[in-house]
Amino acid sequence: MMRLVQRNGWVAGLLVLLIILLIATKIIQPDFGASGVESLGRASVPFAFATAAMAIVVIAGGIDLSIAAMMAVCSVTAARLMVGAGDGETVLIVILVLALGALMGAINGAMVVLTRVPDIVVTLAMLFVWEGTALLILNTPSGAATQWLRDLILGSLSIPGLPERATFIPKSLVFVVICLIPFWFIMHRTKLGLSIYAVGGDPVAAFRSGVPIGRTRIIAYSLAGVLAGLGGLSLTMSTGIGEPIPGPYLLASVSAVVLGGVALSGGKGGIIGPIVAVFILRLVRMDLTLMSVDPNVTTIVEGTIMVVVVMLGGMLAMKGRRP
Amino acid sequence: MKSWYQGVAAAALLSGLGTAAAAEGYTIGISNTVQGNGWREEMVCAMKAEALASGLVDSLNIAHRNTDAAGQLEDIRNLIQAGVDAIVVNPANADGINAAIKEATDAGIVVVAVDQAVTEPSAYILSNNQEEYAYVGAKWLFETMGGTGAVVYMRGAAGAGADNDRDVGFKRALAEYPNITVAQEVFTGWQQDQGKQQILDILASGIPIQGVWTSGIDNVIVDAFVESEAPLVPIVGADNAGFVGQLASVEGLVGAAVTNPGSVGGAGVALALQILQGQMPQAQTVLVTPALWANNSDEGKALIAAGQNPNLDPEWPVSVSIPGWTTYTMDQIIACKGPGE
Repeated sequence: MMRLVQRNGWVAGLLVLLIILLIATKIIQPDFGASGVESLGRASVPFAFATAAMAIVVIAGGIDLSIAAMMAVCSVTAARLMVGAGDGETVLIVILVLALGALMGAINGAMVVLTRVPDIVVTLAMLFVWEGTALLILNTPSGAATQWLRDLILGSLSIPGLPERATFIPKSLVFVVICLIPFWFIMHRTKLGLSIYAVGGDPVAAFRSGVPIGRTRIIAYSLAGVLAGLGGLSLTMSTGIGEPIPGPYLLASVSAVVLGGVALSGGKGGIIGPIVAVFILRLVRMDLTLMSVDPNVTTIVEGTIMVVVVMLGGMLAMKGRRP
Repeated sequence: MKSWYQGVAAAALLSGLGTAAAAEGYTIGISNTVQGNGWREEMVCAMKAEALASGLVDSLNIAHRNTDAAGQLEDIRNLIQAGVDAIVVNPANADGINAAIKEATDAGIVVVAVDQAVTEPSAYILSNNQEEYAYVGAKWLFETMGGTGAVVYMRGAAGAGADNDRDVGFKRALAEYPNITVAQEVFTGWQQDQGKQQILDILASGIPIQGVWTSGIDNVIVDAFVESEAPLVPIVGADNAGFVGQLASVEGLVGAAVTNPGSVGGAGVALALQILQGQMPQAQTVLVTPALWANNSDEGKALIAAGQNPNLDPEWPVSVSIPGWTTYTMDQIIACKGPGE
């Protein structure tokens, strides 16, 4: 048990912070309960997928600035196709949208690998390409979402024999966990995952060990694309429509990745830390609204938390390195 | 050790923030998704001023940031959690936030959508008529151009609901004047710098133009004509303080301002308070009709002269109040202070 805590010290620390914040929320708003947790869960879904996508690319030693724009493309595609779609067709649309995400990610990755232009430049350019693509698919917020898909993240999980309010587990949280398990498995239990960490940590060493650098990076970008597809779908699921203008998911995902303990230099970190960080950042936003803090101060507070926590983390890391 | 550090960080965060105010009067929640735009800032100030002037509001709970419909869903749900009595919202779009509005009205919270409509039937709507806004301005412009020539069509933000409504109105006017052509169509994103760069590029390219229609990014367009010493053409803008000032002062400028009051936010707060006190409006939807102030008619000149207000930010609409709805004074809206501030 101690070993587990030691190995996952950063995640454990974040979980403690999350619990402290949950207690603080209960103090600020004594009515905070199942419906509050459920709101928090639903608000976190698109951020969670954007963050997981960013985490994989960053671990692979890159960065993808086009994540929010890819989410917009997937969201408008889903919303446009789901107008009048039946329950069965919706399954096909979901698969198609995820494939579209993978394709966009692969294009991003291939451009980075083939042109050897830095990731930040390529994906910045692709941000505009995907933004324009989203507007071509749907030039105004519209479309539809199939009801059963929307219900997947609506409400709390009901356990037979217990009233719905008695269960504190939001369906949205279950949805995120189930969708992310395959990605966690790939990153931590497969050779591909190991290659992604190797390429991000030290590409030269990885190359000398026989890891196909280019292919691994393209796959990492494609995985991020699939996750952006899930993020786009979750946007359509929560709003019931598709919006062509990307939301604030790019910077939010970078924040959560950094707060979640992923090194921007690549090769270090995981998926769980950043996801916990997403919940922390959403809960901070909720608390600031509950306390009716001046909205112009809100962003300053959010930024300050980031800096303080990451600085503390850096200090701890340096301390750990000393003999 | 690590969690100790993080505990300190969390405690520092929490102690730096105040505690929730004790509730006596009403608590009103506000949700807005565009930050740093003159029109929206005036809207928020009108909401604060009206809440203060009414004397009925204890505190305002303002969620005001740049986000999308999904983010606004989050904000509205947070306001529900905060236990507000009413929510006044400028919706990101007509359909995307219906789920949260329904949850709010189910919880007994009065919801008023201002500026743009929502399709959720349980919400009250107090909106500027955006289609008419574009139509009256475009019609005046085409008339002033003598029904013939090429026009620069400077839209708002691609994909925004209000921009689409305005496009419908502009196209309706365009259909009535077959000899008018669109020389260039650009999206300013409702950003001053972007709009100015675009018009400078168009002027530099030397394409002949006989008129400019703008979606509210207007004073910088006049500036660009003056700075590049290009011959002035008729220009349509909004009733922003800077542009209304130019209509009275720039020599040779023929132009018209179409009113699009940001004070509709204050009217929304007034409506929410009326409903909370049991006075139901006659209709679920109230549309505020735009007016046209053209400096080539005596009537328009008088309105422009009356609208001059050097105390306002150039990006703010000069129609700072809506008669019959808002009760605050000019000083109150400029001070931009809500109850308890």
